[in-house]
Amino acid sequence: MKLSAHYNKASIIVSVIVLLVGAVIYFFAINFIAQNQLDRDLDEEIEELFEYINTNHQLPKADFNGDQTTFLKVNHGINTRFFDALYQNPREQKSENGRAAEGSVVLNGVTYKFTIVISRESTEYLIQIIAIITLVLMACLVLILFLTNRYVLNGLWQPFYRLLNQLKDFNVSENSEHQLLTTRVDEFNELDQAIEIMSLRVKDDFQNLKAFTENASHEMMTPLAVITSKLDTLIQDETLKPEQFEQINDIYGATSKLSRLNHSLLLLVKIENNLIDDTEVIDLTKLLRDKLRQFQELTQTKELNVIANLISRKVIVSKYLVDILFNNLISNAIRHNNNKGVLIVTLFEDVLLIQNTGSPNALNAERIFDRFQKGKKSEGTGLGLTIVKNICKMYGWEVAYSYHESMHTFEIVFEPSTVL
Amino acid sequence: MKILIIEDEQGLRDNIVSYLNEDGNICESCNDLAGAISKLASYTYDCVLLDIGLPDGEGFAVLNFLKKQMKDELVLIISARNSLDDKVKGLNTGADDYLTKPFHLAELKARVEAIFRRKAANSNNRLIFNEIVIDLLGRGVEINNEPIILTRKEYDMLLYFIANKGKVISKNAIAEHLWGDEMDMHDNFDFIYTHIKNLRKKLLDASANDYLKSVYGIGYKFSAV
Repeated sequence: MKLSAHYNKASIIVSVIVLLVGAVIYFFAINFIAQNQLDRDLDEEIEELFEYINTNHQLPKADFNGDQTTFLKVNHGINTRFFDALYQNPREQKSENGRAAEGSVVLNGVTYKFTIVISRESTEYLIQIIAIITLVLMACLVLILFLTNRYVLNGLWQPFYRLLNQLKDFNVSENSEHQLLTTRVDEFNELDQAIEIMSLRVKDDFQNLKAFTENASHEMMTPLAVITSKLDTLIQDETLKPEQFEQINDIYGATSKLSRLNHSLLLLVKIENNLIDDTEVIDLTKLLRDKLRQFQELTQTKELNVIANLISRKVIVSKYLVDILFNNLISNAIRHNNNKGVLIVTLFEDVLLIQNTGSPNALNAERIFDRFQKGKKSEGTGLGLTIVKNICKMYGWEVAYSYHESMHTFEIVFEPSTVL
Repeated sequence: MKILIIEDEQGLRDNIVSYLNEDGNICESCNDLAGAISKLASYTYDCVLLDIGLPDGEGFAVLNFLKKQMKDELVLIISARNSLDDKVKGLNTGADDYLTKPFHLAELKARVEAIFRRKAANSNNRLIFNEIVIDLLGRGVEINNEPIILTRKEYDMLLYFIANKGKVISKNAIAEHLWGDEMDMHDNFDFIYTHIKNLRKKLLDASANDYLKSVYGIGYKFSAV
């Protein structure tokens, strides 16, 4: 639920409760005041009654001043009291709620109990009017509150939503400027400024990191290039002895391994920092077939039985990364395979399986993707599977290793949003 | 060919010059942007080898200068940066090829000759080495006017050897040329041996001279001598 809806809900619930409680209290207070008023009227009536009896020395007629007064002979005097009673409306021939007072009066030695009943109709009418007005006011208030919250508050929060959209569209690698908000709300202005400062800092850090990876690459690759070119020049000298050539060969090997390691590390940094974002539509089926063809010499030399079950599938990823992904997985599956072994590549709906025979023991499924985890005989850099894992992580794909029925299996489950 | 080498690392620059300075090539070199611009303003070259990271600025400035002056020097970028951005930017700004450091000098020479041939493809699409005639457009090879059939790798290898004729080429360089440096298969050079054996057999069967010599332990040499 949106913040304004939360606020709306809370404020309306609170207002309705307060109004209801207020209305109840209000009702009783008015009732009490009206009753007091009636009782005072009755008091006056009693006084008038006494005055009449004192003046005229006789009981008044039944309808004293339009009120219903009755007299009853009693043996002893009673205290004056007020109570609710029925009032017979003489004009409409029906009984209404009324208020009565009774007491005793002595006339010519006889004690009479008198009862005076007056109608409550007018006060009840008043209370009804007041209740209706209150209810209408309450309804109006709630409605106005609702509308105000809905439209005025929503308007107030607009800068917030604009800010939110800007944050959602924020991309460190883009050079777009942060658009400042125009709002009179201090909090939003502060938030806006804080976000601007933060985004500038993040972009700055990002640029520094990017520059660093490029510079590091340059600085490390240049000496390697010098070594390689020196070696290339050195071997032109055919007076060198075979032992020296062998040593040069080893230096070549070490240099190329170093440069591959360097490439891999930089690639990892780039993947981890999302520096590669050239996504396009890739036909996985075609790419896998190309890869298998590319590795044909290797599979033929090892006399591997290559089985490819591929359905047609397209994904939206970087060609560069998915190429590296398949290179690493397939070259591993070939390199660690037995001679005359099996290599199975299966592409389902959203799952890719690369299975191979190899050593009869399962590998450590938890550590296999860690950096610099490699078999004793492996000539690789120990980063291949880490790169595989990071590429998968980047696209939200799941990658897992398992060993079952003498097959080492790497399983990639594609994230649906990247599959066409 | 007249080649200008713009590279700030002296060790590398000297080796490139000495490797390319044969077959009648004339190599000149400089180590910064200002020097490169002044040389390019005064002289005309066939090919420019351009390092992107120079001490006084980015090599892209050279590309822009050539573009503005309407000069049509071929440009091969040699850079330690292998980021896609730089590759795309370089090629879009008018470079003809992009080679990432570290590279083998043999690869550099093959690439230079390849872009040179590409440019001259209209006038001359045949590469002739003694009795071997290569039709670069049709990718066909004739020996003593008899066509022979080579696989893609054998063809690539033959071109590579001819570009580096007279030089000893290490097995590493051949492997990287044929499979790319991302293949990560350098622990096994048996394929090279197989390909070379097949190529040599095909050349000999077509009664070509035996140009391919094995240099013990290190690699091969393709030479007319």
